[in-house]
Amino acid sequence: MSPHHIIDARGLEPPEPFEKAMEAVADLLPGESVTLVLDRMPHPLFRVLERDGYRYSPLIRDDGSVEILIECP
Amino acid sequence: MSGLGAGLGYDATPPFSAPLRFFLSAPLFSAAAGGLLLADPGLLDSRWTPGALATIHLLALGFLLQVMLGALLQILPVVAGASFRAPLRVAGLTHGGLCAGSLALTLGFLTGAPALLQLGGGLLGLTLAGFLIAAADAIRHAPRAGAPGHTPRDLHLALGGLLIAGGLGLALTLTLARGWRLPIDFVLQVNLHAGWALLGWAGLLLAATSWVVVPMFHITPAYPQRLARWWAPLVLTVLTTWSVGAVSEASALVLVAGMLLLTLAAVFPLATLRQQARTRRSQPDAAFGAFRLAMIALLAGLTALIPATLTDQRHWPVLAGILLLHGGFGGATRAMLYKIVPFLAWLHLTQAGIKAPNVRKLMPEAQARAQLRLHALTLLSLIVAVFIPLAGHLAGALLFVESLWLWWNLASVARIWHKQQAARSAPAAV
Repeated sequence: MSPHHIIDARGLEPPEPFEKAMEAVADLLPGESVTLVLDRMPHPLFRVLERDGYRYSPLIRDDGSVEILIECP
Repeated sequence: MSGLGAGLGYDATPPFSAPLRFFLSAPLFSAAAGGLLLADPGLLDSRWTPGALATIHLLALGFLLQVMLGALLQILPVVAGASFRAPLRVAGLTHGGLCAGSLALTLGFLTGAPALLQLGGGLLGLTLAGFLIAAADAIRHAPRAGAPGHTPRDLHLALGGLLIAGGLGLALTLTLARGWRLPIDFVLQVNLHAGWALLGWAGLLLAATSWVVVPMFHITPAYPQRLARWWAPLVLTVLTTWSVGAVSEASALVLVAGMLLLTLAAVFPLATLRQQARTRRSQPDAAFGAFRLAMIALLAGLTALIPATLTDQRHWPVLAGILLLHGGFGGATRAMLYKIVPFLAWLHLTQAGIKAPNVRKLMPEAQARAQLRLHALTLLSLIVAVFIPLAGHLAGALLFVESLWLWWNLASVARIWHKQQAARSAPAAV
C-alpha cells in the first residue's frame, strides 16, 4: 500500500463504502496511511478505527464530501 | 486520535436491540388497524367515528411514531454524532410507554371510557417528555464539527414539532376525558394537532432523514443546498403563522398561510421525485419504487386537503388521511425500514467483529418487493373503500396481511442477526 493511496468511495450504496474503507485499512502497515473520500461523515467507521487503534483526521470539503486521512500507528 | 472521537464522551452507537424493538412492534399496530377496519368498514365514513380515531392513532402512534422514535435512537448518533447517555434504558422506557399508551388511547377511543383516554394520554405524554429530554441532552453533547449538512438542525426542529403536537394531543385527551378545554374551538384544536403532528413533526423528520438517506441509499445527487437550508425553517414559520391565524380567527391569514403551507409541503415530495429521477442506479430496487410511490401519495394527499378544507363533504378528509398517513408516511417508512434494518444488522455485526452476511442476503430483494407490492395494493383498496364502504372489508384484510408480512420480513433479518451473534458467543465445539 502506498503511503498516499486515495480511495474514492463516493456514490456507492451502504455498506459498500464502509467495506472498501475496512479493506484499505486492513492493508496498512505501521507508518502508512490512506485517504478516503466519502459522501458523508462515517461515524460508525470512526468507532471501528478507534477500537482498532488507528489515527484519523476528517476534513469536510467545499462540495460537502468528506476526506479522511487514516494512519496506522 | 481525532477531535471528533474525543468529542464523544460516552459510548456512541446503541445496541441493535434498542431500535429493533420499535421496528418489530410497529407492524403489529398497523395490523391491528387492519383488523379494526376488517371488522367495521363503516369507520371510514368520517374522520370523527370512534373507529376512525382509533385506526388513525394505531397508524400514527403505534406504527409511525414507533418507527420514527426507534430510528432516531440510531440516526442521531450515526448522522449527527449525538449519542444517548443510556440508550437501552431510553429505548426500554420509550418503547414500553409508547406501546401501552397507544393501546390505552386506542381502546379509549373505541369504548369512550374516560379513564382509558386519560391513561393513554398520560402515558404518551410522559413517554414523549422523557424521550425529548434524552434527545435534547444527546444533541447538546454532540460534536459540532461532526455534523455537516442540515439534517441535525432539522432533526432538532422536528423534535420541537413533536413537542407541540404531543402537547396539543394531551390537551385533547383531557378535553375528551375530563371536559377541560383550551380557550379555542375543539375542531380547530384537532386540526392544529393534526397539522403539527403531520407536518411539524413527521414531515420535518421525513425531510431531515431524506436529506441523508435518499442520496445515500437511492444513489442520487445531494438535495439542492438552498432547499435543505430553507425548507424546514420556512415550513415551521408558515405553520406557526397558520396556527396563530387560526387561533385568532383571522380568516384571510389562515387562507393565505394554509395555501402557502400546502405549496411548501408539496415542494419536498416534488424535489424527492426529481432527485430520484436523477439516480445513478441502473436498476431501481423495490425500496426505491416504494419511496417514489410514497412521494406521489403525499402529493395526492396534500391535493385532497384542499377540498377537505373548503367543503363539508366527509370523504375528503378521510381520503387525505389515508393518502398522507398510510400512502405517504407509511410508504416512506416501509421503504426506509427495508434499507435501514438490514444495514443496521450488518453494521452491528461488523462493529462486533463478526463476519456479516451481505445486506442482500439479510433482506432478499424478492421478499421486499412482494411485500411492497401488497402495500401498494392495500393503498389502492383503502382509497376505493372511501367511496365504496363494502370494499373496506378487503382493505382491512389487506392491511392486516401486509403489516404482518412486513413484520415477518423484518423479523427474518433480526433472526439472522441474532443467530450470527449467538454463534460467535457460543463455546467452540470440542
